[in-house]
Amino acid sequence: MTKTSTKLLLSLVVPLLLFGMYACAHTTSMATVHPTEVPAFPVCSDCHTDSRAALNHTSDFSTTHKFYAVQNKQACTICHKESFCSDCHAHKEEIKPSDKYKDSVERALPHRGDYLNQHKIDGRVNPASCMKCHGRSNNERCRVCHK
Amino acid sequence: MKSINLCLSERSGPGAFRLLVLTSLLLGPLLFPALSAAVNLSGDSRTYLQSRETAIDQNILGVYEYLDFAVQNVGNETISFHTGGWLRYDLRDEQFGRKSNNDLQYSYLSFRAATDNTVVNLGRVMVFEGVASERVDGVYARTDMAAGFGISAFAGNPVETNSDLSGNDLIYGGRIGHQGGDLYRIGVSALKVEKDSDDYREEQGVDLWLHPMNKVDITGRSSYNGVTKGWMEHAYALSLGPFDKVRLNTEASWINYDDYFFRATISAFALQPGLLTPHEGVRILGQDISYAATDKLYFTADYKNFNYDIAGNANYYGGKVNYAYSSVSGSGFSYHRMEGESDRLQYDEYRLYGYTKIDRTNLAVDVIDISYANAINGVDNSYSLSVAALYDLNEAWKMGADAEYSRNPDFDRDVRAFVKVLYRFGSKGGV
Repeated sequence: MTKTSTKLLLSLVVPLLLFGMYACAHTTSMATVHPTEVPAFPVCSDCHTDSRAALNHTSDFSTTHKFYAVQNKQACTICHKESFCSDCHAHKEEIKPSDKYKDSVERALPHRGDYLNQHKIDGRVNPASCMKCHGRSNNERCRVCHK
Repeated sequence: MKSINLCLSERSGPGAFRLLVLTSLLLGPLLFPALSAAVNLSGDSRTYLQSRETAIDQNILGVYEYLDFAVQNVGNETISFHTGGWLRYDLRDEQFGRKSNNDLQYSYLSFRAATDNTVVNLGRVMVFEGVASERVDGVYARTDMAAGFGISAFAGNPVETNSDLSGNDLIYGGRIGHQGGDLYRIGVSALKVEKDSDDYREEQGVDLWLHPMNKVDITGRSSYNGVTKGWMEHAYALSLGPFDKVRLNTEASWINYDDYFFRATISAFALQPGLLTPHEGVRILGQDISYAATDKLYFTADYKNFNYDIAGNANYYGGKVNYAYSSVSGSGFSYHRMEGESDRLQYDEYRLYGYTKIDRTNLAVDVIDISYANAINGVDNSYSLSVAALYDLNEAWKMGADAEYSRNPDFDRDVRAFVKVLYRFGSKGGV
């Protein structure tokens, strides 16, 4: 089979296969809003025994939530509005999340206290942790010094 | 490949907030003619007043207005509109060279079907899919498919602070995933950014969630840089919680700087001596163990090792204790020590905090102290003290204020104040 005919075959088969798989899905969409009121730091496994049980907001969730979000962000939107994400995952942001929510001392929020000096330390230890939020956007504040 | 000029420009442009307002006020009523009984409007207004001093002796007094709202059931219960952004105006010295600033954070029309978890979002959307954590002016769509498969795709203009390059600017990508009941979820994903028809970024990745038994989860992902031809990152975490009162979390990650920091738009991530060492790599191994002594008392011990290819080693370890007196009051204390091979990576960190609610007023206090083994700018101890109050006027309105005092290597005496007025309108649900 020539390269051209293989490409042609794939361009026909793949869309047909995808359409067929879509047509045969028959799943029920997730709720758009959680049917019951959810407390802060929910322990999802108290009620759920399926995959949703993994979403317990335990102390490590601030570091592991990224893994769940990139697989199933819809589950986040049942309880969280878009603005909840954009408080930290911002395009341009001038106020630290920990300044917006200084009354929520129990929450794991980045950049508490004196972060002007501390960022020089954290940036040495694990610059990849800075890159995620400030690498390609939300770095207007950084550019005051990092020209 | 074009050489990249790190003279930075702002992609979203100064008219972003105007776009938000125009979209909301003009297009909203036009597109959604019956802001009528069936339409459900909800949102938040957050007004902030921030007073602080900058490192270059400016006195900042900025007023911020954050506005987020959603219109559900736009003519049809499957269609909704979501938008959010902020506006700042300086009452004293100007920040970042501008007296005012604004940003449109997200703004999209959403179609969400009752079956197959089919979603189509059109506008400024935040995409979290596999290797993609990107803000895009364009379209995002996902749906379930047969036999546990799911597929998503996105395309548009990347919303980022970017390098000055002429020509087109396009981002696109997608993810195909498979879920095996409650046992696993795995996905392969890719994204590509083209600037003026050149391959600017190209990333592929695998993401994983394994759930072999209740309260045991393995999560993680690996990302490959298709331009530099190297692995950017492997990051995995194991959570073990099947024991009565003990929970164990392990994390392991490998990061290659040359591949990971490729195409950053800020000079701080430039791979050059004095900033990030070229060809550096780090392996991070972390472990924490939590013990719930009672329903109210938690202990956590944690340890993290940073093993660099070039810079040597660093260890960060410590513990914390949290006590919840009630659902609205509690306190905590933590201590951590950083031991690294460079002078700056040697310090002890203490934190003490408490919060309570008296009648309708939430009160919080937070003290952070860092003691450096080697003085920085002649300072060997840095501390900050903050006190905050938030008063619930009613379900819709809240008012708060806080103050922070600190002394650190950059400020002899730093005093900051923050006032906020929060207003929630429309239906309840979500934070």
